[in-house]
Amino acid sequence: MALPTRTSSAFLAGGAVAIAVYFLLGFDGKAVWYVVIGLASVAAIFIGARRLERGRTAWYLFGAGVFVSVAADAVSGFYEVHLDREPPVPSSADVLYLAGYPLIIAGIFLLLREIGVHASRIAVLDSVIVFVAVATVQWVFFVEPYAHSSLKPLPRAVGISYPTMDMLMLVALAQLLLAMGLRIVAYRLLIVSVLLWVIGDEIFGLSVDNYSAGGWVDIFWLGSYVAWGAAALDSSAAHAPPRDRRSVPRLTIRRLALLAGALLTPPVALVIEHEWPKHEIHPISLAIGGTLLALLVVVRFAGLVRAVEGARAAEREANERLRQLDRLKDEFVSTISHELRTPLTSITGYVELVRERADPESRGYLDIVERNAARLLVLVNDLLFVARIQSGQLELDLGGTVEVGALVAESVATARPHAASGNVALRFSDGARPVRVRGDRRRLAQVIDNLISNAIKFSPEGGAVDLNLERRNGIVVLEVADQGIGIAESEHEQLFERFFRARSALDRHIPGTGLGLYISKAIVEAHGGRIEARSVEGEGSAFVIELPVEQ
Amino acid sequence: MSDKPLILCADDDPDILALLALRLEGAGFRVAQAVDGEQALALTRELQPSVVVLDVMMPRLMGIEVVEAIRADPATHDLRVILVSARAQQSDVEVGLTAGADAYLAKPFQASELIELVQSLLGPR
Repeated sequence: MALPTRTSSAFLAGGAVAIAVYFLLGFDGKAVWYVVIGLASVAAIFIGARRLERGRTAWYLFGAGVFVSVAADAVSGFYEVHLDREPPVPSSADVLYLAGYPLIIAGIFLLLREIGVHASRIAVLDSVIVFVAVATVQWVFFVEPYAHSSLKPLPRAVGISYPTMDMLMLVALAQLLLAMGLRIVAYRLLIVSVLLWVIGDEIFGLSVDNYSAGGWVDIFWLGSYVAWGAAALDSSAAHAPPRDRRSVPRLTIRRLALLAGALLTPPVALVIEHEWPKHEIHPISLAIGGTLLALLVVVRFAGLVRAVEGARAAEREANERLRQLDRLKDEFVSTISHELRTPLTSITGYVELVRERADPESRGYLDIVERNAARLLVLVNDLLFVARIQSGQLELDLGGTVEVGALVAESVATARPHAASGNVALRFSDGARPVRVRGDRRRLAQVIDNLISNAIKFSPEGGAVDLNLERRNGIVVLEVADQGIGIAESEHEQLFERFFRARSALDRHIPGTGLGLYISKAIVEAHGGRIEARSVEGEGSAFVIELPVEQ
Repeated sequence: MSDKPLILCADDDPDILALLALRLEGAGFRVAQAVDGEQALALTRELQPSVVVLDVMMPRLMGIEVVEAIRADPATHDLRVILVSARAQQSDVEVGLTAGADAYLAKPFQASELIELVQSLLGPR
């Protein structure tokens, strides 16, 4: 929690001392001292407001409001000290007091507008709920007694005006509580000021007849003045509180507490009436207030439910858009791969044609073209395959029966020339024959080819690649182990992610796209199997595929 | 000369069309050429070739539609049709075969694949 800056705290401390002094003074001294404290606070508000770059008008309105109120205090004081009686009702003091409220309330609403109060339907509804609760309380406890009193119209109107103004103050206060970052000290002090002011008014209103100038209730109004001055002097008055940018205001603890408090007003008022019957509150007024609150809560509830439904609909729409994007992406990749394969058809077709008629030297070069075209084709096919996996459109013909031993033997035979060219021994031990799995023969071959080709690629000259096929409890296990460069432990988890390439492979400039293992994993998993890697960097790697044996 | 089987090739890519023709002529066939689906269908009806080699992605009339038209017409119903395409996912192949093609050849293809396929279709039914 931030503390008030030095000026502000000094003012607060000075104010506290001044208030203490106030209660030590005699009757005449009190009247003067009261006005002194008030004027000092007004000065503080104006001094504070002048430094502000924005929101200055609101603080000037506070200053003017407090000033008018202090002027009213001075008039009352004059009556009590020099004329030795309370001011009549209505008096010029009442005119001044009642002029002060609109200034202050206008200031609060201006400030609220500047800091951006939540203007959604639900936020407005919350304000209305608080308003109705406050209005009900003000009405039954403060207004009605006047309305039904035997006072003449003018004094009665004045008597009603105060609780009405306090009602507006309370509503403004509730808005402040909801809208503002309570962590900003200036706003905290401002809220305290308004609260003290209204508490003073309410206590006064409940016991007008017992009030005597200079009594203990004055501590609230004086405290309010001082806190107001301190609020304006605090440097944080320049900060804008964080705005709530959601379409529906956040259900903060504060908001919930305020709403709960609002809803509890009718029963609490009833209890107060029951315990202290002197207020003679009107049950009909309370019933009307309670009914209004209940209706508003129903509307609020409906609004919430509708907001939730709206959010859900928006989510569904977003999902649908995502799916559409996915389809578009898939279509795009599919088209691109078609467009890439068409020129490749001409390249490989004509190279094949020319190669047949070429002399040995040219044939060697054309072999290079052919090899690279083949590599490009593999890449295009892999990318298309990855796009299909990503969009959940992996097409597998899982209906076939595959004898794994034969499949591995085929792949080994195909890879032999490649292994021999790198002087790598390729050994296959089939300890499971015959064992069948259900699945897509072509795709399973693709996985095994990929693992063997990886193993050869990462093997050192003169190394060996060992394939071992076993059957364990209804599972066929194929291990492809090499004595190659291995993979760092930290990379084992990422190994099967698309486009991932091991550091050790990158460092040695071993070509690859990082798609093979990703594709292999997808194929194996689509067969209900799993694939994992075991590797020690520098010693070699082993990839293990497990597939369920056909029952 | 006329005892050589006639093959109709259709592809909107002139390079690939020329390659198909070169390879098939080299293998001893007579070759007619079409550059889009409509022309392919018209020439099929006119020439009654032994085998029709159709690209799938063609302007005017897609290869699949040409196959369907060939199969729907009693005059061409029994002709041999090979679809050739760079779109060769399993689903693409299924669509092609369901439409009535006798075979589906993926691009890029090797000359030997093409010739063997044509020869196998020309063999005894």
